[in-house]
Amino acid sequence: MNQNNTQFSIGSGRRTQNRLEPVISISIIAILLAIAATLFVRQADTDISRFGITAPSLQLTQKPASEAENNPVIQAPAGFDKLSEAEVYTAENLYEKIDGKAPLYTEAGFLKLYCQRFVNKTDANLWMEVFLYDMGNLRNAFSVYSMQRRPDAKTLSAFVQMYGYGTSNGLYFVYGRYYIEMIGSAESDQLVMAMLETAANIQKNPIAASDLKIEELDLFQSENLIPDSMKLYLKNAFGFEGLSDVFTAQYKIGSQPITVFFSKRPNAQDAEAMAASYRKFLAENGATVKQTTSESLKNKVFDFYGATEMIFTTGKFVVGVHEAENQDAAEKAAMILAVKLSGGNKAKQ
Amino acid sequence: MNEQENKNIGRREFFARTAKAAISIGAAGVAARLFYDAKGPQRGGKAEKLVTLPDFSVPQEAGRTISVVKGSDRIKSINKAIELLGGIKRFVKSGEIVVIKPNVAFATPAMLGATTNPELVAEVVRLCYKEAGAKEVFVIDNPINDPASCFMLSGIEKAVTAAGAKVIMPTPSLFANTTVKDATLIKDWPVFFGPLEKADKLIGIAPVKHHHRSGASMTMKNWYGLLGGRRNTFHQDINGIIAELAVMVKPTLVILDGTMVMMTNGPTGGSISDLKRADTMIASCDMVAADSCGCELLGKKVSDLPYLAKAQGCGIGTTNWQSLNPATASLS
Repeated sequence: MNQNNTQFSIGSGRRTQNRLEPVISISIIAILLAIAATLFVRQADTDISRFGITAPSLQLTQKPASEAENNPVIQAPAGFDKLSEAEVYTAENLYEKIDGKAPLYTEAGFLKLYCQRFVNKTDANLWMEVFLYDMGNLRNAFSVYSMQRRPDAKTLSAFVQMYGYGTSNGLYFVYGRYYIEMIGSAESDQLVMAMLETAANIQKNPIAASDLKIEELDLFQSENLIPDSMKLYLKNAFGFEGLSDVFTAQYKIGSQPITVFFSKRPNAQDAEAMAASYRKFLAENGATVKQTTSESLKNKVFDFYGATEMIFTTGKFVVGVHEAENQDAAEKAAMILAVKLSGGNKAKQ
Repeated sequence: MNEQENKNIGRREFFARTAKAAISIGAAGVAARLFYDAKGPQRGGKAEKLVTLPDFSVPQEAGRTISVVKGSDRIKSINKAIELLGGIKRFVKSGEIVVIKPNVAFATPAMLGATTNPELVAEVVRLCYKEAGAKEVFVIDNPINDPASCFMLSGIEKAVTAAGAKVIMPTPSLFANTTVKDATLIKDWPVFFGPLEKADKLIGIAPVKHHHRSGASMTMKNWYGLLGGRRNTFHQDINGIIAELAVMVKPTLVILDGTMVMMTNGPTGGSISDLKRADTMIASCDMVAADSCGCELLGKKVSDLPYLAKAQGCGIGTTNWQSLNPATASLS
């Protein structure tokens, strides 16, 4: 055994390995450096909103989306300039614009909000903001429109073919899948004219013109109908999750308005299931069955803390009355609607 | 490096290499420890320390806890309402710094009632300065949606600036995280703390409004505007968050303006037809009592607004505002 044999023989003389060692080492170091660089870059631009949290700095600054600049719909009316840049909001950040009212829209199929302020060129106190909500389809747009309709507002002639009305400082209407609000800073004829012009410009846009009418609304009997009282609850009608796609309208029968409703289901079995679930819901929340002279309405009329509730079916339709003060008037209104829905035949219970 | 050197290393060389490797591993461990963030990313604000909002309240006095004034002129009404509680000097002392928190949530004109009336805020600023001798008055809110536009278009910035107050816009550096005791929602959450840290007194001024989610927006809901972060998540438990806000904030005085009430389509409104004249001004040291009184202006009962009972359950105040023997007046 020579002297070399007394020494440790780590790395003992493999020529090939000796050549590879520095190459492998440098490669590993390069990979580690690449990983470190990637981590550094990624952490410097972390999107913590993915974790459902947002730093204040992320939510304090208004960020008009560049998409707004390409929005062709809202144009400044004559005599008005842009007061602020166009803004676009999605379901993710709609609350930044309308705070606690955002759920009303997001729960009804909301896609995007485009908005823009315009100011009168000669009077800075006269300005208005146009809100154009893309609700995805006409029914969604009508739903949010109907939920907010001011009861005493007047339908304007400009909206004969659509659903719309005006107040002393605003204009509100549905155009296809869009629900549009124009809100003025004052009660002013100049602003109203500017709003009408803006509305007309919007209506020139063919993007939504093909879908302007909801056929179901014609199913309400016109006699005694309180004008513009019709609403569409897409879900959670009357606080019950099981009632969806419910149209309501108010009738003037007797001294008090009566709210009647219907929902068209895929088939009669589905309709009866919905009606039964609502009756169960009422009973579980304190409603008691009311006596009725109508054999067909037996066990379908309830006293709910002093108000009359009623729900039954006719074919594919669920029909009912909500929070009526007068039972006789309620039964009368419900039967008129049921007859209309069943095509003029007697309602089948 | 020749072949012979690579073939064999000596004992000394072996230990040297081992020591270097150990040092490298140790250094990597120390570096990892130094860079390790046990908390991870926070919900915005300063992750390093939690703050608690100061207690701005003043001692309650029998018969001077809540006042209700009927009248159409806001300026006269608020002066009378505060006078009935003992005057502004009961709440603000000479040389004190006062923060006023109006509702500036939207960039809408004052006439729509979605924001606190600017003349009302300006009058309270004036009272603080002229009557009480306040050193400074700051006006704050965190509207989220373009605060500068909200303060400008609501008319509040112009009105309070003219009265001598300074508007403090929400900037990230003014937020700090807080946790409300026994809270399930406000935990390690950013609040607009900067101005409050230096203040001696805090006055909230809110309009009476319908609210799509909570039923009503009044003095307790007004503190929502102190929150930062992605606060819309709290709308899923709107009654819980309002009650927790009432626990978080202990104001000196709250003012509830029911001169014009937003009856429908709140909290944004949008039409003058959403408003109804109620000609009522409420001032109170008990915000639960103030909101319980105010809900009647919306045609609601205390039981219609579950957050009132929740706040009462937290010991914030009473929903039985009549039991406080309210001071009342009617102005012609």
